[in-house]
This record gives sequence, C-alpha cells and structure tokens, in this order.
Amino acid sequence: VKDTLCRPSLEPPLCYFLVGQTNLKSPQDIQVYVVNTNFTLRWKYTGNDTDVTFSAEYRWFEDFKVDGTEWKKLPGCQNDTRTECDFSSAITEYYDKHHLRIRTERREEVSPWSSIFEMTPYDIAQIGPPGIELQSINGVIKIKVSPPEANQVQKMWIDDLSFKYNLVIWENSSNAEFRSQSIFPTDKIYDLAPDTTYCLKVQATYPLESKEGLFSPVHCIKTTHKVNVTFCATNVSILALNMKFHLHWDNRYKQHVSYNVQYLSGYLKKLYDDYSVKWLNVPGCENITDTQCNFSSIITTVSGTFYLRVQAMIENNKSCLSNEVKVIPLVTNEIGPPGVKVDISDDVLLHIQIYPPGGSESEVMRDNYDFSYRILYWKNSSNNEEEIKMKEIKQTIGTISDLTPSTLYCVKVQAFSKAYNKSSHFSKEECIKTPGDKILPLVILATFVTAVVAVLLVAAPLIFVLYQAYSKIKYVFFPSCQPPLNIEGFGGQLFNSPYRPTAEEPIENFSIIETIITEDLNQIDFKDYKHSKQSSRDSGNYSNDDDTSGSKASEEMLEKEIV
Amino acid sequence: MNDFGLILIGLILCTTTISSLQCNHLPLQQRKVIENSLQLLDKMGKKFPQQCLREEMSFRFPEQVLKLGQREAVKMAIEEIFHHIFYIFSKNLTLAAWDGTALEQFQNGLYQQIEQLEACVIKKQTHYFQKKEVNRLKLKKYFQKIDCFLKDKQHNLCSWEISRAEMRRCLQLIDKVVRRLNN
Repeated sequence: VKDTLCRPSLEPPLCYFLVGQTNLKSPQDIQVYVVNTNFTLRWKYTGNDTDVTFSAEYRWFEDFKVDGTEWKKLPGCQNDTRTECDFSSAITEYYDKHHLRIRTERREEVSPWSSIFEMTPYDIAQIGPPGIELQSINGVIKIKVSPPEANQVQKMWIDDLSFKYNLVIWENSSNAEFRSQSIFPTDKIYDLAPDTTYCLKVQATYPLESKEGLFSPVHCIKTTHKVNVTFCATNVSILALNMKFHLHWDNRYKQHVSYNVQYLSGYLKKLYDDYSVKWLNVPGCENITDTQCNFSSIITTVSGTFYLRVQAMIENNKSCLSNEVKVIPLVTNEIGPPGVKVDISDDVLLHIQIYPPGGSESEVMRDNYDFSYRILYWKNSSNNEEEIKMKEIKQTIGTISDLTPSTLYCVKVQAFSKAYNKSSHFSKEECIKTPGDKILPLVILATFVTAVVAVLLVAAPLIFVLYQAYSKIKYVFFPSCQPPLNIEGFGGQLFNSPYRPTAEEPIENFSIIETIITEDLNQIDFKDYKHSKQSSRDSGNYSNDDDTSGSKASEEMLEKEIV
Repeated sequence: MNDFGLILIGLILCTTTISSLQCNHLPLQQRKVIENSLQLLDKMGKKFPQQCLREEMSFRFPEQVLKLGQREAVKMAIEEIFHHIFYIFSKNLTLAAWDGTALEQFQNGLYQQIEQLEACVIKKQTHYFQKKEVNRLKLKKYFQKIDCFLKDKQHNLCSWEISRAEMRRCLQLIDKVVRRLNN
C-alpha cells in the first residue's frame, strides 16, 4: 500500500512517496470547549503509538466572507503530547467562522489531516461563573454579583448588562429544599430563617440566546438575628387612578413618626454600581406625618418603572426602611370611568358623546392605552325584564338606532384598553326619553286639513250655484219689488215676463204725465230700478257690465230722450 | 445532576408562570418607547458639533436583520438592539455632558421594555441557539464596532456624538419596521 502525501504548504509543492505503511492515524472526534475567552481543543487518538505528537492548523472567514484565510499554525497546539491544547491566544474574532484541523506527527511521519472542525466562537462559548460577595445583615443576606469577565480586557460577553442572574439557595442541612430565584447584581435575599446557615450559588444566564452559564462555587453564610423594628411602615401599597399615583402605608407605632418617601428609577437596579445611594426623596413627601403620599410628580413619562419605599423616622434619628414597591405606570394605573352625555336627534337616533377618562391627564392615557368604549343601553320600564344591549366602539361618539318611541332609555359607558387588558368602572347612568310618535297626529292633521280644503272647494261653488238658483227663483216667483200704487191694478201679468224691456216703462210715462211728475216718477222708477237691478244681476240686457255703469247708461239715454 | 434537574424544574415553573403574564400591551408599548427614545435622544444633547464631522465613522448597520420576511426573527432582533443600546448608554458618559434627566428617562424607558419583553418571551428550548442566523452575528459585530470605537476614543465628546447620531439612525429604522410589523 502506498500512501501519497502532498504538502502544499511547501514551495514548490513536494510530494512524498512513502515506502511501506504509515500507521499514523489522524486524530478523531475533535471537540472545542470554550468558557468566556478560553479555548480548549480536545481530540481522540485511536492509534497504538505512544511517541506521537499533534499539531493543529486553523483558518477563519473574516467578515462573513466565503473565502477564508490561508491555513495557519494554531498557536498553543503545536507538538502537543497530550490530546488537548489551549489556543485562546489565536482567536480574536468571536463572531467569525473558524476552521480547525489536527494531525498526528512522529518524527518525519505525519498523518492525514483530520476532518475539519467548523465553529463560530460565540455560538459555542459558555458563560463562565460570576463572582459573589455576601453580607449578612438583620436576618437578610445582601449579595453582590460581579459579571463573569469582570476586569478582563478582551471579552466574549461585551454586554454584561444583558446577564440575568439565577440564584440557588438552600439551608445547610440534610434534606434541604432548593430555592431558585432571579436576582439583580446587587440584591437582598429575604424570607430566611434567622441564625441559620445557608449555602448558595449563582449562575449568569443570557436570556436572548437562552444560554445558561456555569455556576459559581458554593458560598455559605449564616443569617443574623432579626431585630424587629416597631416603627417601620408596613403594608405599603399603591392606589393609582387616571395617572394620579398615591402611596399608602400603615404604622402601628403609637408615638410620633415622620416619613420620607423615596423613589428609584428602575433601570439603576440593572447596573453593577451601588444604587443604594441613588434613592431620591419624592417632592412633597419629605418629613410628613400623613401615611400617604401623592407621587405623581415623579412619573414624568409613562415609559419607565420606578421603585418606591417609605423611610420612617423617630425622635432620636433612628430610621427604618419599608419594603419596596414597584410601579409600572401604565400597568399599575387604574382607568377611571368616562364622561357621558346623551342626546336624541330628530330622526330618532340616540347620540352618545363620550368624554375619555382622565380629564387633563387624558391625553397621556388616550395616547398610550388606545381606548375602546363599551356602551350598555336598555329600556327603563317598570318591568325590569328588559334586556341590556351592548355596543363596542373605538370613537368617542356612538349612535343607537332602532329605538321605540316614547320610551325612557338609559345608557352607561365603560372605557377599556384591549392592549393592557384594563377596563374602567361604568359611568353614571344617563337616561333620555324618546319623543312620542309624531307621525300619527301629523297624518290626522294633514288628512283633516285636506278634507276641509276639499270640502270647501266642492261646497263653495255648490252653495254659490244653489244660492243663485234660489235668488232667481225667488226673483221670478216671489219678486221683492212692488209696483207703484197707481199702477197696482195692472196686474201681475205685465211683470211676469222676465224679458220685457224695462226701458220702455219710463218712455210711456213721459208721454202721458207732466214733466215734473215725470222726473219724480223717473227718479222713483230709477231708484226702484236700481234697487231691483242691484238685487238681480242677471236680468235684462246688462249681463256682464257693471250695474251702475249699465244703469247710468240708461239714465243718460233717458235724460237725452227727456230733453 | 440533581442540581441541574431542580434548576430545570424551576425554570419550567418559571416559564409557565411567565407565559400566563399579560403581554398584549407590548407591541403598543414598544412603539411608544421607540417614539419617546427618539425624542429623548434629541433632547439630551445639542446639535451635532461641526468639529466632529471630521471623525465620522461608517458603522454599516446590517439592515437585512430587520427585513420583514420572518416576523419572529425581526422581533428578536429588535429586542437585542434595545439591549445593546441600553448597554452602550450605561457608562462613561461624563465627557458627553448630556442632560442627565433626559438620559435617565431614555435608559429607564429602554429598560422597562427590555424587562417586560424578557418576562413575556416564551423561552424556546435550549436547541434554539443552533438555529443562529448569521444576521444576528452581524448585528453583534455592528455594536462591537461602536463599543470599540468609543473605547479607542476614550469616550470623548465627538465619539459620543457620533455614536448618538448612529443610534438615532438605528432607532428610526426600527420605528419604520415596527409600524409595518403591527399593521
């Protein structure tokens, strides 16, 4: 069997032909073990030879390029006799892909290169153990954690603020229960039995990568006796409505206690600096005796959590700090009820005007909660079995249609934030009555008026016609004018004929009687004539003309004739 | 083994309680945090100093990390970016001479979002890291460059102003993405 070995790394390339067998096996099962920036290469050698050494090479792909660098000797892994080596000094680019290979060597003999081990340092790196400092005070353990690569110049974990520390604590006795909790770099461990030895260990985790680091060595400490301070503030709680934040607490101490309410910006707890000096007094809640405080002034933005605590002080400058409470403004806050106004428009629609909760603060709440409104409405009748209907809207004006007339409707509104899963109490009920049915009376009125008008239109001419007929008949059969006494005897026959030319009468008189008498007669006749003329319009030849003009014409005619 | 088992149980319990937390408000809150952060970044300092224009660096933010192809990946990327920005603005700020209140509010707002996101993200199994994309590594390299830049310049005023301008650009990109993500 001939083994061909080419060594392309030499110039010019030389190929060696080995006579005989090379038993040198390549290393196998390459593993890389990384803790922080410490790189360890491990492999297995299955051959029987004992006087072999190993050498490794590496190359990497800068800035995610496809072509890598040339193969280079891996420092720290040359001529190793053991099957592991430390090559930390070679690696500087932790985000770049690296290739590693090893081969066995014995004097001039070399084995083929092992298969390539591909790795990205950051991906396979493990988080090393953090440092711990402990202090036992008043039945409580104070812990200070330092990050895994504290004081190191070259770091794998640059962003040490992203670490989340996991504490495991147990009582130093048999059958002790393990308690696991998340802690800040500087924190206090409560709920511990006094005068007891506890053991603990901490690991750093990287939540973003779901990485869990190595645990620190176990530290044990004994808790001290707990001193009960009687004048501390207890039951510290928060009441927040419409972005007005109030802190309330109790104190069973009978004598005079004054309080200082202090606050801390939430992010300070995440830093490795000592935040105990960074607590600030809430303005307006310094040296107070009241067991409540309005701390709305410190909530300058809704983005940002805060911690609050109460410092109680008695005469001889002794003070006691209460437990801390956490405030996440938009989550802690409760939404108050909205304002409601109802109105009914002419087209029988119920309009609901909603005023968002919070008044002057409402802009902040409206901006951040993205309110929706739930309207409940029902008919307020004597029998309480009327169903309550619901409507959800996003705008501040709601309209309800399909209302029954002459009914009292009641409305109440609730504001809610779907995003924050928060809802307010319902507003006060607002009731309004729908107007009575206007249609029917209007219809009746319209019908009545139409009927009256119709009747008038029909009746008026009818009456007129009837009256005309009546007057004609009356004129014909029951004339109103009386013939003069002196011609009474003529009989009715002469006057019976309606078409007798009445102009002839005066002419007859003229020829028989004297002038004076004639004139008198004329006048009398004319008067009567006029009278009769006025009472019956249709008679004679004067059908369309005016009465007086007609009779005047006859007068003129007669007067001419007289002359 | 005993330790690990118990820790695993503890973590599982933690995860179950965590996943029952109310998390619906996070997208809405995230938009507000980004808006506020941009405003505060402007508020904390003055206009970009002329003398620092010479020292401008090109950091080349890996925009492909925010491509909307994979919503979950983009959400994780945004969460990581918040972490990095929070870290960068956490120390050695003396020479920047910015408005302390605005800076505090900026940090506090970022941290609130980080903390709540942490509580709400349902922890994927440990084999998650095997699915690492090269984009996430590019993102880390980007922030590493900024960190190194600040360290090299000993956190002087110009290095801070350049970094602040860069972070502003980054947040504006995220703002656009977040708006599209939630529509």
